[in-house]
Amino acid sequence: MSNKKIPTINFKEKAIELLPEGASFEACLTCGLCSSGCPASGIENMDPRKFIRMAMLGMDEELSTTPWVWCCTQCKRCQHVCPMSIDISQLVFLARGNWPQEKKPSGIVRSCELIRSTDSTSAMGLPPEDFIFVVQDVLEEVRETQPVFKNLQAPMDKKGAFFFVNQNSREPMSEPDEMVPLWKIFDMVGADWTYSSKGWAAENFCMFSGDEEAWYEVIKKRVDAVNELGCKVWLNTECGHSYYTMWNALNRFGIEADFKLESLITYYATWIREGKLPVNSKWNTKGIKFTVQDPCMIVRKAYGESIAEDMRFVVKSLVGEENFIDMQPNRSANYCCGGGGGFLQAGMTDHRRTYGKRKFDQIAATGAAYVLTPCHNCHSQMEDIGHFYGGNYGVVHFWTLICLSLGILGENERTYLGPDLLALID
Amino acid sequence: MKEEARNFETDLAVIGSGIAGFAASIFALNRKINCAQVGNTGAVAYTTGYLDLLGSSEELQTPIDNPWEGLEQLKKAQPNHPLSRIPAADIRKSFEQFTAFLGECGIAYTAPQDANITALTPAGTLKKTLCVPATMAEGAKAFADKIPCVIIDFKGLKGFSARQVVANLKAKWPELTAARISFPDMDKGEIYPEVMARALEVPATRTRLAELLKEAAGEVKVIGVPALLGMHNPDLVRTDLERLTNLQIFEIPTMPPSVPGIRLREMFEQVFPQKGLTLIPQQKVTSLTFNVDGAFLKLSDNYGPITIHSKAVILATGRFLSGGLDANITGITENLLNLPVTQPLSRTDWYHDEYTDHRGHAIHKAGIEIDSSFRPLCNGGKDGKAYNERLFAAGIILAHQDWIRGRSGAGIAIATAYKAVEAAEKFLNFHKVKSNVE
Amino acid sequence: MMPTIIDKPAETGEPTLRTDVLIIGGGVTGAGIMRDLALRGIHSLLIDKRDLCAGASGGNHGLLHSGARYVSNDLHSAIECRLENEILKRLAPQCIEETGGLFIAVEGDDPGFAEKFPEFCSAAGIHCEEISPAEARRLEPHLSEKLFKAYSVPDATVDPFRLALENVAHARLLTNSIYRPHTEIISFEITDGRICAAICRDNRTKCIIRIEAKQYINAGGAWAMNIAGKAGCTDVNLLYSKGTLLISHDRMTSRVINRLRPPADGDILVPGGTVSVLGTTSVQTDNLETVRPTVEEIDRNVLEGAAMIPALATARYIRAFSRVRPLLQSSESEDGREATRGFSLLDHTSQGLSNFCTITGGKLTTFRLMAEKTSDLVARRLGNSESCTTDRVPLPNGDACRWTEPGAAPRYWYKANNSEDMILCECEMVPQSAIDEIVKCAPGAEEEMTLEAIALRSRAGKGPCQGSFCGIRIASYLYDRGYYHDKTGLIHMRDFFNERFKGMRTVIWGQQAAQMELAEALHCGLLGLDSLDDE
Repeated sequence: MSNKKIPTINFKEKAIELLPEGASFEACLTCGLCSSGCPASGIENMDPRKFIRMAMLGMDEELSTTPWVWCCTQCKRCQHVCPMSIDISQLVFLARGNWPQEKKPSGIVRSCELIRSTDSTSAMGLPPEDFIFVVQDVLEEVRETQPVFKNLQAPMDKKGAFFFVNQNSREPMSEPDEMVPLWKIFDMVGADWTYSSKGWAAENFCMFSGDEEAWYEVIKKRVDAVNELGCKVWLNTECGHSYYTMWNALNRFGIEADFKLESLITYYATWIREGKLPVNSKWNTKGIKFTVQDPCMIVRKAYGESIAEDMRFVVKSLVGEENFIDMQPNRSANYCCGGGGGFLQAGMTDHRRTYGKRKFDQIAATGAAYVLTPCHNCHSQMEDIGHFYGGNYGVVHFWTLICLSLGILGENERTYLGPDLLALID
Repeated sequence: MKEEARNFETDLAVIGSGIAGFAASIFALNRKINCAQVGNTGAVAYTTGYLDLLGSSEELQTPIDNPWEGLEQLKKAQPNHPLSRIPAADIRKSFEQFTAFLGECGIAYTAPQDANITALTPAGTLKKTLCVPATMAEGAKAFADKIPCVIIDFKGLKGFSARQVVANLKAKWPELTAARISFPDMDKGEIYPEVMARALEVPATRTRLAELLKEAAGEVKVIGVPALLGMHNPDLVRTDLERLTNLQIFEIPTMPPSVPGIRLREMFEQVFPQKGLTLIPQQKVTSLTFNVDGAFLKLSDNYGPITIHSKAVILATGRFLSGGLDANITGITENLLNLPVTQPLSRTDWYHDEYTDHRGHAIHKAGIEIDSSFRPLCNGGKDGKAYNERLFAAGIILAHQDWIRGRSGAGIAIATAYKAVEAAEKFLNFHKVKSNVE
Repeated sequence: MMPTIIDKPAETGEPTLRTDVLIIGGGVTGAGIMRDLALRGIHSLLIDKRDLCAGASGGNHGLLHSGARYVSNDLHSAIECRLENEILKRLAPQCIEETGGLFIAVEGDDPGFAEKFPEFCSAAGIHCEEISPAEARRLEPHLSEKLFKAYSVPDATVDPFRLALENVAHARLLTNSIYRPHTEIISFEITDGRICAAICRDNRTKCIIRIEAKQYINAGGAWAMNIAGKAGCTDVNLLYSKGTLLISHDRMTSRVINRLRPPADGDILVPGGTVSVLGTTSVQTDNLETVRPTVEEIDRNVLEGAAMIPALATARYIRAFSRVRPLLQSSESEDGREATRGFSLLDHTSQGLSNFCTITGGKLTTFRLMAEKTSDLVARRLGNSESCTTDRVPLPNGDACRWTEPGAAPRYWYKANNSEDMILCECEMVPQSAIDEIVKCAPGAEEEMTLEAIALRSRAGKGPCQGSFCGIRIASYLYDRGYYHDKTGLIHMRDFFNERFKGMRTVIWGQQAAQMELAEALHCGLLGLDSLDDE
């Protein structure tokens, strides 16, 4: 175990530096709305209000060393509810980066190292050639076993393709069949898309570890990959923070990008509206109820209400308006589930589950059988807390349900469907 | 990374996300006016849930039992008070519409009556108010009828003490007692009403809490708890708990951070877009300009600049807390348009020597002047000229009222919003006719 | 000897307390005397008509003078300060932050005066070192660019509340001496040139109390003349000088910053924990009781202070306060600045009294010396031959005395890591356990302490919200504990907010205006604390 001490940051000074005037720590009324609305409140005996006050009281050593900074997922809900719009997450990010590597949660550090270890930028260390192989392998199998899709494509390194599509490492590493639904959707809408063997991965643990340099390096690699293929749109897969780390980094580091950043959600909605994706809810004969999770990284921290609306349009189209129950609160006011910020890799399981209790209650209150989410971390976390707290809901990605609605969900693509949904597929 | 500019067109833009702003949007929706609302939300979360019309008489320095009579007195004593300039019938209508809307959206309120309700506070004092949430109404009744009642507080909840409530009400309410319980799964450390309220949206939590409430109530049939009976569905949570416990349950407001204000904020933010109103609740308007083509509001968000082009604007930006007015060392200014602010001659006169001076402090009466159509004046009321025919104002930004001492915050917000929307509608119709004719 | 309360009323019907020495006035001098006497084995009773440090002791910069401020016009005081400064740093470090100080001259100040400064310091034996303006600005980035001369001196800061608390606590430990707040002297019973009893009133209960002591000490600070008058003494002649200071939200400097010129307004900026204290003004007044800051005094302090530190012009201030200095009358100057800041001990034998004395004048820094002289006289009169030991016995850390130190409560709380010990004052992070300790055993703790008394013994209410939220939480907590059990708890809340407001009134602008709006909406709008009497 390293003896290296965590250096002390002057948080009050940094707050003045990082936060806009009138929205910095000295604007705080100590009203407690932030703490009240933060799922990390109470963990390690800390909360956002205490964080601000400790900074103002000069308790820099305590703030520099509190493990709470690994429990705050930087979801920015504190800023959302604060009448002064004070964003505490920025100081949390600073605190994270200030920890010596050896002291940071090893799971996050390791993931960042793996990301940097190959051109894939994959947190599971899957090198480009392996990614190419897995994609090809799965594609061949689909073509063989699902005759409707004998001409299915999964382009790799296609220069000049319109869409550059990224991919979470989890699928190619451990559940490669889960990649297929999205390929089918692209096929259905006639999208001109490609994977890239370089910079293909979506996740970004370097941001979570507070390592600005590494974060920049990862994004740069990905931007270069997009530029190299000359794609017009970088289309973000169903992953929350991959969008945010890319979008935020372009501004933060002043990186030039000659392409637009878009989310799959936006396109799902567009394709459905344009009739290219003829989903409908007729399959939901049993009126199975669904709710939807607003990933902080996509909604509150990035696109805001417009994508939340698009997402709901998609859900309602898929399951039927009467079968959709919004969780409360929702959209930009929704709670972070606790899967982001590296929490799933931080090895602080008890804290992570404590954090996730609010999300569990939200889902439970809807009575929904399934939560739809366009985010891998939300997916994993909501699954885990569901088991832990004895819930009876499932969690599915949008691509799964889209293909189900279209009746094209392959047998190996139904892992996350419960028996009720499986029963509806003939 | 390029910025993305977005533009919106609307008929009526409401600037301000407090009670006045939200009320204006409600009245605009009711009148089918195309509306957009912007403003930095947050302060509305401090609302206690009570809707005060007029709770205290400044002249007599006593609480007011009948606000309608109180308004008559007010008209004589303070003719410049915003409420004095509005017919009582309109004030009543505005409250009726406002509370009806809240009820339709899942937060039921008592309708405005002929008299104020004597309502409970977390300190064990009493307060006169016009409308209360249905979840709180039973408390006032139980007090009025002096029914045996147990006030129950929760371990870990700071700032709300059942013993305090009982200690201070006991003389008037002899059969009031106190009890303390732990909230299910929240028996360690400090807890917030918001978290408890949301947990109660889950049926299983209600079942568990019901057992604890029953035990604490003992033989008594009526219980009061801090405001935590659900967030999204307070009426359902309360009736379900009543069913499970076979008790009558009411809630009492708490100090911030409190639930009733959050309920309103979350409800408004969900319902308004559903009803077709363009809502941008997190951003402050940075500039407001007028020309022959209309009013232009500029603001921005994560993605870049937003412009709203509107035919009419209602300024409901509030006071110091919400940033509508600034108190500077040299004087008070209005933030968006630099409208003249009627105010005491110097800073020395802002506050009396004693904080709880019955007369209230002159700083609160500072504000902007309006004409009879609720348009802000551009010369401090001296020549009665409106700043712009498209601009209207509502809420506590207006001069000549002390909403804190008068216990009239909601009243001023709702009634003036009603009139401002009425005036804006007249203006819009006039121009519609004009443009049809041309 | 222990004080006793006679249950059976005396002829006069009121309870009687007995002690060796009655000390009137709970400022640092009175507290210091209490301890000095206790170290000599003498029992005393300390009373104050309000609470500890209610006068000048609680309304100053908190500056432990190196003495340099007085070198040009009061050499005697300067030397006294130097000596006492050294003693206190050694023996009461828990009350002191050794910040060091700077004297700086800015454009417009007299260069001649600045040049002579080191000479004056040397005459007083005060260590003074010139540093370059560039170096001064490196050490203190907020200093004005227009500064042309700078000297470093051994100024420090002191927490007068803690000082008083620790002295009182130590006296209690040694001889069970007792401190009684809100006990006001009404009259003296005098027979044959001796005071045989002091008749006092408890200002909370309005009951009369009789105190019989062998010796009576008037340490009433600015009230000393009035008190002496009650004993028929006309030899105490004081001028009253009102001083106003303000507290900034942020600590602007690490060190004490003094203006290098003859003492005038807005000359000193003193750091204290996370804030800075700016002052002071000096206006002759006749009014002892209702001194309040005026907008004009605030603005003057800010203007003068900004010449040294420009950021003061736009800083956020959270509080302003005024107190009255007792100045020994000896000169004609308008503002009392020329009156000696030395102290005076009067034995009143010329007034025909043999067991009464008055100690007055002086300053916070020399309180120990003032207490020594007074205790020497009184001990002698009691036939006690013990000599003073306060110049060598360290001041111990008493129970429940530590909470006034900025940062003490939050650090303790964080380290203890007990989630059941909830924080009641969020701004200064004061937990329940601190409140518990204070009400149980802090000096002056009693059956039902007011919120103001609790706040005095801690940092509660001293942060940005100035008690507007924590006043509610602490009161609720005390009701929970059964410590408050009726409407007086609400009255304590109202009084606490009123008291806090006095300090805020003249500095309510900007962010403070927003804070006050919310506070008033809560206290008056919701809780109705402005109409408690109506119910």
